[in-house]
Amino acid sequence: MTVRILVVDDHPVVRHGLRTLLGGHAEWEIIDEAADGLEAVDKADRLKPDVVVLDITMPKMSGLEACRLIRKRAPASEILIVTQHDSPHMMREAIEAGARGYVVKSNASRDLLAAVEAVSQHLPFQALNEQSVDSA
Amino acid sequence: MKLRILIADDHEVVRRGLCALLQAREGWEICAEAKDGREAVEKASQLKPDVVILDVGMPNLNGLAATRQLTQLDPHCKVIVLTITDSDQVIREALDAGARGFVLKSDAARDLVSAVEALQRNRMFFTPRVNDMVLAGFLDKGHSGSSSEPPRLPKLTSREREVIQLLAEGKSSKEVACVLNLSTKTAETHRSNIMRKLGFHSIRDLVVYAVKNNIIQVQMPTQLHNPTEGSAA
Repeated sequence: MTVRILVVDDHPVVRHGLRTLLGGHAEWEIIDEAADGLEAVDKADRLKPDVVVLDITMPKMSGLEACRLIRKRAPASEILIVTQHDSPHMMREAIEAGARGYVVKSNASRDLLAAVEAVSQHLPFQALNEQSVDSA
Repeated sequence: MKLRILIADDHEVVRRGLCALLQAREGWEICAEAKDGREAVEKASQLKPDVVILDVGMPNLNGLAATRQLTQLDPHCKVIVLTITDSDQVIREALDAGARGFVLKSDAARDLVSAVEALQRNRMFFTPRVNDMVLAGFLDKGHSGSSSEPPRLPKLTSREREVIQLLAEGKSSKEVACVLNLSTKTAETHRSNIMRKLGFHSIRDLVVYAVKNNIIQVQMPTQLHNPTEGSAA
C-alpha cells in the first residue's frame, strides 16, 4: 500500500532535496508540500497523510507547534522531524510534542529512508550524531 | 563541453536539492560534492571546477574562509556563496573574499540557476540588497567616520580565524592541531594569541564572538515559543 507523504520545510531547495531522496521508493508518494507550520497543519488536516516530514525552524509557526496541532487534527498521521538541530534536548521536545521520528539533515542519506520506513509502520526512529548523544 | 560544478553544504538534503536543480540543466554536471569548507578547497584544487557553490555556514572551515582560500589559490576561481542571512557583515566578507555570486538559501530554488548562468558568462550575480550595498559603497567612498561603518575588528590572520571556528565548534587544541596539521603546541599558541588579541577569558566568549561575526552560523529556533513571529531564516 502506498505511503502518502507531506513534506514541510521553509526552504524550497530542501523540499526539492527531500523529494529527490524519497522519490525513488516505489511505494511512497509525495502528496504535497508546505513552506511553514501553519500551511503544514492545514494540509495535514485536509489530506490526512500517512507521514509528515517536518522541519522545526519555520516562519509563522514552528515545527514543534505544528507537530502538536497535527497530532490533534490528524491523529493517524505520523510525524518525522527532519532538522538541522543535532540536539538531544530538541529531540526530547519533539518526541514530547508527538513526533514519532527525529533525524538530522546532515545525516539524511544515512537515516531518512529508514526513518520514513519505520514511522510509516508506527515505529519510533531517532538518530543524532554520535558526539551529540555522548554530550547528552 | 559541460560546465563542471562543485557543491559544498554540510546538509546532504540541501546538496541533493541543489544537485537536482542544477543537473536538470543540459550541459551542466556536478563534478563533486563536499560537506565542509576544507573538503571543498581540497576537491576544488584537484578537480578545478568551473563554478564552486559554497554554503557559508559549514563546519571545520566555513564558506567565507573557503572562498578566501580558493580565490587566493586561483584568482579566476568562480565562487557563489549560499547563506541563510544577508547581513551587512556577511555581504562585506563575501565580497572581500572574492565571491562572484551571493544567493540566499531561501531563494536558491529561484536564483541559483541564474547565478550559475551569470558566472558562466563571466558576470557576477548578487541579490538586490547586495547590489545596493556595493553601490552605496561606491557613492560613500571618501567619507570617513560615518556612523554606518562597521566597528574595527582586531586584526586576525586567516589561520587565526580558522582556529576560532574550530574552537567555537567545540574542538580541543589537540583536535584543532589534528585538523590543521599543526603541532599541539602551535595550536595552543594560536589559541593564546586569539584570546589575548580579542581580550577573552573563556571559550564561551569565543563562541559568542564567532556567532556574532558569522564565523559560525546558527539558525536559532526562534519560533519555538512565539509562533506568531516572522521567519527566522
